[in-house]
Parts: sequence; C-alpha cells; structure tokens
Amino acid sequence: MLSMKNISKVFKTDLVETHALREFNLNVAEGEFVAVTGPSGSGKTTFLNIAGLLEGFTEGEYCLDGVNVSNLSDNKSAQIRNEKIGFIFQGFNLIPDLNLAENVEVPLRYRGVKSSERKRRVEAALEQVGLAARMKHLPTQLSGGQQQRVAIARALAGEPRFLLADEPTGNLDSLMARQVMELLENINQSGTTIIMVTHDAELARRAQRNIQIVDGQVCDFSMYQKADHSVVAELKKVADQKQAAELNQIVSGA
Amino acid sequence: MFLYYCDLAWRSIKKTPMLSLLMVLAISIGIGITITTLNVYKTMSYNPAGDRNDQVNSIQLWSQGLDTWDEFNTNMTFTDVSNLRNNNELAIKAASYRTGLAMQSDDETKAPVLRSVRVTDTDFFTIFDVPFLFGNRWNKSVDLQPAYQVVIGEQINNTFFDGKNSVGKTIYLNRKPYQVVGVIKDWNPKPKYYDPTNGAFNDAEHIFIPFSLSEQEEFDVWGNTSGWRFEPMLSYQDRLRSEKTWIQFWTLLETTEEKNQLQSWLTRYVEQQRSFGRFTDTAKTPAESAQISPVDKLLEDNNAVPSDNKILVGLSVLFLIVCLVNILGLLLTKFLKRAPEVGVRRAIGASRGQIFAQYMVEVGMIGFIGGIVGLLWAWGTLTLLHAEFNVDPSVTGLDSSMWFVTPLIAISTAALAGVYPAWVVCRTKPSVYLKAQ
Repeated sequence: MLSMKNISKVFKTDLVETHALREFNLNVAEGEFVAVTGPSGSGKTTFLNIAGLLEGFTEGEYCLDGVNVSNLSDNKSAQIRNEKIGFIFQGFNLIPDLNLAENVEVPLRYRGVKSSERKRRVEAALEQVGLAARMKHLPTQLSGGQQQRVAIARALAGEPRFLLADEPTGNLDSLMARQVMELLENINQSGTTIIMVTHDAELARRAQRNIQIVDGQVCDFSMYQKADHSVVAELKKVADQKQAAELNQIVSGA
Repeated sequence: MFLYYCDLAWRSIKKTPMLSLLMVLAISIGIGITITTLNVYKTMSYNPAGDRNDQVNSIQLWSQGLDTWDEFNTNMTFTDVSNLRNNNELAIKAASYRTGLAMQSDDETKAPVLRSVRVTDTDFFTIFDVPFLFGNRWNKSVDLQPAYQVVIGEQINNTFFDGKNSVGKTIYLNRKPYQVVGVIKDWNPKPKYYDPTNGAFNDAEHIFIPFSLSEQEEFDVWGNTSGWRFEPMLSYQDRLRSEKTWIQFWTLLETTEEKNQLQSWLTRYVEQQRSFGRFTDTAKTPAESAQISPVDKLLEDNNAVPSDNKILVGLSVLFLIVCLVNILGLLLTKFLKRAPEVGVRRAIGASRGQIFAQYMVEVGMIGFIGGIVGLLWAWGTLTLLHAEFNVDPSVTGLDSSMWFVTPLIAISTAALAGVYPAWVVCRTKPSVYLKAQ
C-alpha cells in the first residue's frame, strides 16, 4: 500500500541544513492501522506531509498503491490526494463559512462528482459519524469532538483508501478522544488503511502497529509489542538514536 | 464548478463587507471616470457616414494667396462653388451653408419663430441619406431655376401642422411664401458632419431651402466666413464675388475612378483659375491645390474630437491604473488572510488551477459589481455635465454599447489586478498552514 525507501528530507536555509527525515524506510500494508509516535521535532509531521503528497522530499523513493509518486506534478499529486487520501488534522481544519454538509462535500466538488451522488455520499458520511441531523450547522456551532467527527466525515466522503490523521485527538478531552478513536477503528475495520500520528501512548497501543520516529528515522516496535508490552514500554522510555537505529536494524534484518 | 466558485465568491464578499466595499468603490470610481471620458470621446469620434464614408466626399480648394493659411479651408468661395455646381461631370453634388430666417405659417395662433435654415441643393438629401416622412426633396430643376420650395423637419411639421402631411402647404420665411415639398423624419447626425465648421455637435437644421435662391434673397450667413485678404463688403454681390470662404461643397463618388476623374477635373480647374489671376499660391502644384476629403478626414481636419479629449481619456486610464494598484493591494491582503483555507482545500484535492480559478471568479465578481456601480457613476456624471454645465446631450448621453463594454472593462481590469494575488495564494504550500490552523 505505502512503501518509502531511503526517504530523506532536508530543509535548507542560507545558514543551516535541517535533516527532518534521513534514510527513512517504511512499509504499510493495505488495511493496516499504524500509530506513529515520537518526540517533538522528530519528523512525524514531515513524514505525514510526504505520505500525503503535501510536500516533496529530497531523496529516496515513495510508492503509494503500487504507483511511484516520487516525482509527480502538482496537479497529479492533487488528484491522488483527492481520490485516494483522506486527511484528519489536529485543528480539524473545517472551513468556517461552510456548513457541515458543504464542508464534507468539498473534496467531492473537486473530483467533479455529480450533485445527486454528492448529496448521497455527504449524508452517508455524516450519518456514519452521527451528525446527519446537524447538516446545516456551521462548524462554530459544534463542540471540538463534533468538529473532528465532521473532519472525519469529510475524509470519508471521498471514500479514500488511505487515511492520514495528524494528532486527531490532540485538541479533545479523553472522552471525545476515545469516541474519535473508536470511529477510526471502525473505519479501519471496513478496510481503510490508517496512519495516525499521536502523542497519546494509550491510543497508540490500540493501533495494530506502532512505530516511533526518532531523529527522522523509524523505530518499529511492533514485533516486541506483540511479544511483551511492558518490555516495549520500557524500551520506548530509554530509546535514543543509537538504540533506535539498532532496533531498526534488527527489525529490517528480520 | 463555475457556479460553485460564484457561490464561494459571494460568501467571501459578504464576509468582509468593508474590504469588499473599498474594492468596489475603488474600481467603480476608476471605471466611472474612464467610462465618462471614453463615452464622450466615442460619441464625439463617431462617424455618422458609417460604411458610406468613402463615398461621401467634401471638396476643398487652396484658393488663398501665398503665405496665408497653413491648411485647406473646409469652406469654399461662392465663385468656386458656382463653378463646381455647373460641372456636369459631377452627377450628385450639393453646395450648403447655414442661414437664419423668421418662420411662420398661415395659422395666426402660431407665433413666428427664428430658425436656423440650411441653404443647399436637392442632392444634399441623397448624399446624406436623409430619411423622408412625407413628400420628397425639391426637383433638381429648382437648383438651376430658383423656386420657393422648402423641406421641413418633423418637429416643425408637428409644431405648425400638428404632425399631419404638410406637403403642398405654405410656410413663410422672412415673410416670403415657401411651398412645402417634403417633411423629413427626425434627423440629427452627431457630429454634424455635413458642416463641422459650425459647431460639430450643434443640432441639425429643420428647414432646408434651395441654394439657387441665395443670389436673389441674399441670405445672411450664420456660420464661419474666412478671408485671407482685405476685401470691401458693401453689398451682397461683394460677398459673392469675394475670395471669402463660407460654403461647403459635397459630392457622392461611388468609385475610385470617379474620384480620380474629379481630381483631374479639379487640377485642370486650378490651372484655369490661375490663368484668371486667382489661386496665387504657386508653392503648391495645381494637383496639390485641390483636396477631396471623405467624412472621416474632414472630421479629423476640423478637430471634431478635440485633442484635449484624447488627453482626458489617457488621464482617466492612468487614474484607473492607480485604482487597480490599490485593488491589487487590497486583494493581496484579503487573499493571503485566507491562505489557511486554501491550505485545507489544497490538502483535500484542489489543484492550483482550481484555487486560481476560484479566486479569479471572486475578482471577476468584484469587477462586475464595480463595473455596474461605475456605470451608475458615469451616468450620474454625464447627467450632471448636461444639467449643470449645459454640455450638449448628444455628447453626454450614455452610449448603449457602454452597458456591455463597461462590465467587460471592469471585469478585465479587475482580473488584471487579481492575477498576482490569485497566483500567490494558489501557490500556497498546504503543509505550512495545516498544522498552524
């Protein structure tokens, strides 16, 4: 589904070069639910932006759904984002002037979906997140949890194969966070691949696979996670770059 | 998608009413001033001859002496006009000048009125394609054998004959009875191209009488008379024999061959007149001493559109550009404020082209509204010019084409101002704003 090989991303200014990702390797299978954790500044968001074709990268190769998307034109990237990828953001990123139905239909508008089909999909998506009755409300009339559900509905309306969530529960209280997480789990069970960046260890544990990004590189604890959660937790606490690199080597060597 | 973009544009305009109002005001004032000057210019530079421009020709002769005028005079002397009228090679021709006469009818209840009168030949009506309501022009024989006949305008006919067919009726001009032979429909070409020397935007006359009556009736000249040397004018005959110029001469030339023939005839005529001691400016060859001018040339030579007018149009366009620069700044501020929304739209699948189109539609809508308001400004200004400064209504009337041209100019100019802001905002990197929102 998603394959990144030796991806590097360097941000350059006149004075400094910052390596956001270095020799980043990751494979995500279709239907997986992957949680991505890591300290601030480790490269999680950069990874998500590259995965979502929102940003290019300096080196490496990226295949999405079997297609090499390393050097796509801006228009083609937009088309793939529109057709295959759904985004959920920490800040919800709903358009404040549009009501819920109009917000949800935005990706369908750009895809050129016909009016009747748009209406059907919008209703279905809002139904799925339990907000069908508030279709004409503006985002400001909703709570944070409800706004995030609308954002999920917007992502779902396009029937994406691949959902990218950047701290989807970051602005929510624990109850709402659990509700959103349950929603994402349901979506994943219906076959959508999900990659979720989170700081919440509890939520991360609910994912099928858990990877940690440290200094722009992947530390995949899944194997250990399945074997012994306590060991993994301990390892996570003490993980430094060296350990992460070693672990990565073990995992990829396996 | 266009309707979707229109919907988004309208919401955006409503969301920032003050900013939108400022932009609409800026563009409407710029457009209003430009359209006002453009309208006046267009009206003044209109060629009423249309596609007959090359056929309708005026003749000018360099009859003046050495070191006198620098340009051909539009009018000619009575001597030259008489000779041209007698030229049988010219099938359709008309001399013409303006006079003024007191007019009354048999109806004693109608007070006499002083009216401008066009003294001309019968071909005048053919050359200028004057439309008739009743009757017709006088017979061509009247141009040789004077007769007291008259063609009147629809307004005069309405005033003195209650709009009924007055052909055969009598009107009195300076107490002389004239028989009405024709009534023309309202005819008021602007510019008044058949006599641009008498105020190019004055109204056309409503009374037309035969030129052949000039000698016996000794009509005053209500127009420009120019002379290049001192000549005593003690009698009307002095005027007729003088080198003073005061008569226009027109002819209809259907083909280039006819034009060439006339040019040859005029060259020979100048040579002949020189042998009589006239046309003393030998710096010009005989061929150079005669000019055949189609309508557009005559209007240009007579500065029917003053050069001030062109400068004014240029200045108003400069003002519009200043307005556009202001709008550009306002648009840039407005659009960049919405960059986070653009980031979201880009993230969920909008291409740069779609974002660009969305914002250009918004710019177009602002331009359209500005254009409509600008049109109202223009209409108001033109009305004010007419009401307060007594500018001729033919110049201050809003040309019908302006109702289409103005929104087009407004949308185009707004689009010009909007291209850069729309381009900047469509190149927004979505990743920059998604986290920040």
